[in-house]
Amino acid sequence: MEAPPVTMMPVTGGTINMMEYLLQGSVLDHSLESLIHRLRGLCDNMEPETFLDHEMVFLLKGQQASPFVLRARRSMDRAGAPWHLRYLGQPEMGDKNRHALVRNCVDIATSENLTDFLMEMGFRMDHEFVARGHLFRKGIMKIVVYKIFRILTPGNTDNTEALSLSYLVELSVVAPAGQDVVSDDMRNFAEQLKPLVHLEKIDPKRLM
Amino acid sequence: MPTEQREEKQLEASLDALLSQVADLKNSLGSFIYKLENEYDRLTWPSVLDSFALLSGQLNTLNKVLKHEKTPLFRNQVIIPLVLSPDRDEDLMRQTEGRVPVFSHEVVPDHLRTKPDPEVEEQEKQLTTDAARIGADAAQKQIQSLNKMCSNLLEKISKEEREAESGGLRPNKQTFNPADTNALVAAVAFGKGLSNWRPSGSSGPGQPGQPGAGTILAGASGLQQVQMAGAPSQQQPMLSGVQMAQAGQPGKMPSGIKTNIKSASMHPYQR
Repeated sequence: MEAPPVTMMPVTGGTINMMEYLLQGSVLDHSLESLIHRLRGLCDNMEPETFLDHEMVFLLKGQQASPFVLRARRSMDRAGAPWHLRYLGQPEMGDKNRHALVRNCVDIATSENLTDFLMEMGFRMDHEFVARGHLFRKGIMKIVVYKIFRILTPGNTDNTEALSLSYLVELSVVAPAGQDVVSDDMRNFAEQLKPLVHLEKIDPKRLM
Repeated sequence: MPTEQREEKQLEASLDALLSQVADLKNSLGSFIYKLENEYDRLTWPSVLDSFALLSGQLNTLNKVLKHEKTPLFRNQVIIPLVLSPDRDEDLMRQTEGRVPVFSHEVVPDHLRTKPDPEVEEQEKQLTTDAARIGADAAQKQIQSLNKMCSNLLEKISKEEREAESGGLRPNKQTFNPADTNALVAAVAFGKGLSNWRPSGSSGPGQPGQPGAGTILAGASGLQQVQMAGAPSQQQPMLSGVQMAQAGQPGKMPSGIKTNIKSASMHPYQR
């Protein structure tokens, strides 16, 4: 049920396939302040944005071995914000010179009855977590620094505990397919965050 | 004759180059002296090193200019003062930035001398006799050992630099933990460490977050549900995946579930 790699699909018109370029790293709690200061200096000048999101990951198991994964996210601190549904494809392997993880990405905003809709379609929730952190932007690059909280009783987002003593740092760009120059810009930006954070492309399959 | 003209041109060009190099050197020396005299209480070692490096670089380029193949041998040139006068010379003033107002008998011996100071000459004579006394072989050996020591030192320094960079800073200054990075990435990518993969030690029946099926029990009823080869649209496939994840944890599930696992043995994320 996975879409074939984007580069193989003919462009037949309609929306362009967007790819997400991703670099990830982490920072320990006690170094968070220095990282935030550095990011405030490096990134676009705007009010520091914090967020508190609740993300649920839904799986649809078909006859094939690999289930279809959709991620639904809602904001817990912004009333009235739409829900966000996201599909992320498999990381495109192959080009070792590419500095960032590249995967197909489809984003859409939805109304609040998203979970009911997905359940009706046959999706089942696989796991959920709460993410609290800061959001920065630099041009088309988005930098998120957030802490992941495990939800102890399902459905109850007040009862959470932190997953680790670190914050996850993600540098991502959503751009049309084929723009590999984006990953060079990302790598240059990542250089500026060393040695505080080591942003690199981490293949999730290695961590299974 | 063309060769003479060429030589003249070369001479002029190299003189110009030399002049600019020497001017640069003078400027940096001047600024260094100024720094030492006026800012000595605020001076840091790296700053002093910088000035030294600058001077050394400039001396290097000066040497290169002199060694350049297009530079005629200055040794072959002789400077002879043609006219000495005790009057002020404005041109000279301008050219020397006000340092030499008069081209007279007192000034010329100092500025046009080619012999080094007597003390310097003594030292140089001493050094040459020492060098000659050692003999060619011993001298060669000494040269080799000096080269070897220098390269050892260089290697040690570059190794230290590389280690410091790659090993991350020492623990008390570490700002990130690679193990944490992996754990967090795994959590976001496929939920490792979150609800459904929690170790059995924590809550009992309140198992993985399925909003509609909060009462999944490790008991007989759960087993029976799994035994049914469910249509994909029902809950069974998800249940079986969940039960299988739980079965991975020691000592909690009755052994009966092992047979059921065979029928639904797909890891949820198997590719």
